[in-house]
Amino acid sequence: MLSLLKSAILYAVLLVWLLAVVMPLLWVFAGSLRSSREFVEDPFGIPWLITGSPYADNPDVDTPWESVVADFRKAWVKSKFSRFFFNSVLVTTLSLVGIISISSMASYVLAKFTFPGSKLVLLYFVSGLMVPAQLVLIPLFFQFTTLSRWGTALLAPFGYEVELHDTFTGLITIYIALSLPFTILVLTGFFKSLPSELREAGIMDGCGEYGVFRHIMLPLSKPGLVTAAIFNFLGIWNEYLFALVFMNSDSHKTLPLGLAAVSIQAQYRTDFGLMFAGLVIVLVPTLLVYIVLQKQLTRGITVGALKG
Amino acid sequence: MARVALRNVRKVYAGGVEAVKSASLEINDKEFVVLVGPSGCGKSTTLRMIAGLEEISDGEIYIGDTLVNDVPPKNRDIAMVFQNYALYPHMTVYKNMAFGLMLRKYPKKEIDQRVRDAARILGIEHLLDRKPKALSGGERQRVAVGRAIVRQPKVFLFDEPLSNLDAKLRVQMRAEISKLHTRLQSTMIYVTHDQVEAMTMGDRIVVMLGGAIQQIASPLELYNRPVNKFVAGFIGSPPMNLLDGSIVAENGTLWFRDAANAVSLAVAPEHQPAVEAYAGKRIVFGIRPEHFAENASQTPKPGRSVTANVEVVEPMGSEIYLHLAVGGHICTARVNTDREPPVNQAHVIDVNMEKAHYFDAETEMALGR
Repeated sequence: MLSLLKSAILYAVLLVWLLAVVMPLLWVFAGSLRSSREFVEDPFGIPWLITGSPYADNPDVDTPWESVVADFRKAWVKSKFSRFFFNSVLVTTLSLVGIISISSMASYVLAKFTFPGSKLVLLYFVSGLMVPAQLVLIPLFFQFTTLSRWGTALLAPFGYEVELHDTFTGLITIYIALSLPFTILVLTGFFKSLPSELREAGIMDGCGEYGVFRHIMLPLSKPGLVTAAIFNFLGIWNEYLFALVFMNSDSHKTLPLGLAAVSIQAQYRTDFGLMFAGLVIVLVPTLLVYIVLQKQLTRGITVGALKG
Repeated sequence: MARVALRNVRKVYAGGVEAVKSASLEINDKEFVVLVGPSGCGKSTTLRMIAGLEEISDGEIYIGDTLVNDVPPKNRDIAMVFQNYALYPHMTVYKNMAFGLMLRKYPKKEIDQRVRDAARILGIEHLLDRKPKALSGGERQRVAVGRAIVRQPKVFLFDEPLSNLDAKLRVQMRAEISKLHTRLQSTMIYVTHDQVEAMTMGDRIVVMLGGAIQQIASPLELYNRPVNKFVAGFIGSPPMNLLDGSIVAENGTLWFRDAANAVSLAVAPEHQPAVEAYAGKRIVFGIRPEHFAENASQTPKPGRSVTANVEVVEPMGSEIYLHLAVGGHICTARVNTDREPPVNQAHVIDVNMEKAHYFDAETEMALGR
């Protein structure tokens, strides 16, 4: 009886949790299938696209299907979400490549080799987790100004100019730097769980240290890399503050900035249809990445929990 | 020529711990040498120094005629089988075996030929497409050996390769590795803490303790003529019985007597020259379990028998182990008898004094060698 009660309470709590997570998502998807008129009239109802429009007889009002297509088209073309989407994909992909490359190599060395100061180096990386990102915003802005000036002076003889403000290079550099502490912490733990004999077997087979890393340790750490990549993807894909401060021109904006622009531009009226279409454009890649890599993610999180 | 030579090799870890103390060892071409000793004796460190996985602090290591102190492991032409197999979990058995050859850029056809030949020798042809997680312990062990033999190295190194297997499989794999040695005719260096493995597999055995080599000899030489008390007690199962006592000269002959005078045994004439200098001094007397025998008439033979209390009887099938309390000492006797002696009764046991060993109580070195 007691266990039944316990189960009932457990399921009740889980149900509340499920609703808290799923309802907003469903609401966003449902919202994206509504026109602005429909949203104002019935914000929580089933979309007219499914139930049928009460204005079906009025030829002046678009059909639900036409409204949805128009909203997505407007978001993608007129509000330049296509451009923002491309920018976000570019920034996120290159940042992830940089983060995973640097972190995996650094973590492998910190996990498997002891050298004078190795613990201090790990501590230095991990201490980055204690610094709030907002705190470094202003100093970083001025640091970028200085670095751009120095870089330009240094490369001037070769005809190059260095600019870190309002460039993808600058934003990607920030994202990589900010993600290293967390990623190195996760991956160091992961590499520590791999047996050192595999390194020695690789060396006996003829690998150098890089060969061991490339052919043996890296493939084996795939679940850890995927876990780190997903967490970083979520953070970078949705990142707003640094993108807002460092990316000024329209052509360099990422999706979260684009989304904000849609709501800011509509000062006197809100185009809900457009906003929800934009939200879905932002949301879908995140869901796709999670669905595709879900198995690897759970493996990465639970690795080492059981003797394998 | 795959001769391996260690000349005064030392290994001192950071913090000053001396894992190997000036080890010198000559291993001949095609020889099967076993390094044996208790945990922490330096046997694995010695093997890892030969492999190049540990830097040496002092001394010289030669493989063939080449000084390999500064040669990286991949250029030493050696292969190693690890205790926990160390198979690459993300590769199939085929790729695990082929990996070393692929890195050395062998032609694909030759790699395939070598992998399939090795798989045939080890009986794992049907496993080539599987990943290591789908293999049993014995199969993984075979793959680990296969990975070593495809390389056709000058020297094979084995680091306690059978210690993760169950007792039955261990006996089987032991024989297979010995057969492999006969077939491949390569130099093999094998590390184990199991003296039965050492005795059954090695052409020669190197016994180590506390980072120092105690004795290098053939299995029978080691068993019959141990150089010191440690080797005498370590080699042999059940181990040699070691009794503290002293040598007493009486009536023109030498006697071994323990402190309580419960054991009084006449030193055999052939041992007297070695022992006579110890008359009146402390000594350690050693006798192997099989050199005790049941006294059929239960009549003590002066100087060649002891009266013992039988504490435990362990019938092993072909023989019986008797745990005996002799004075204050506990001894094990291995006797061939059809009848189990009654427990907790005094029993007369004969001692084959011609097979006795004597050790200096201070230096623990064997006398008369």
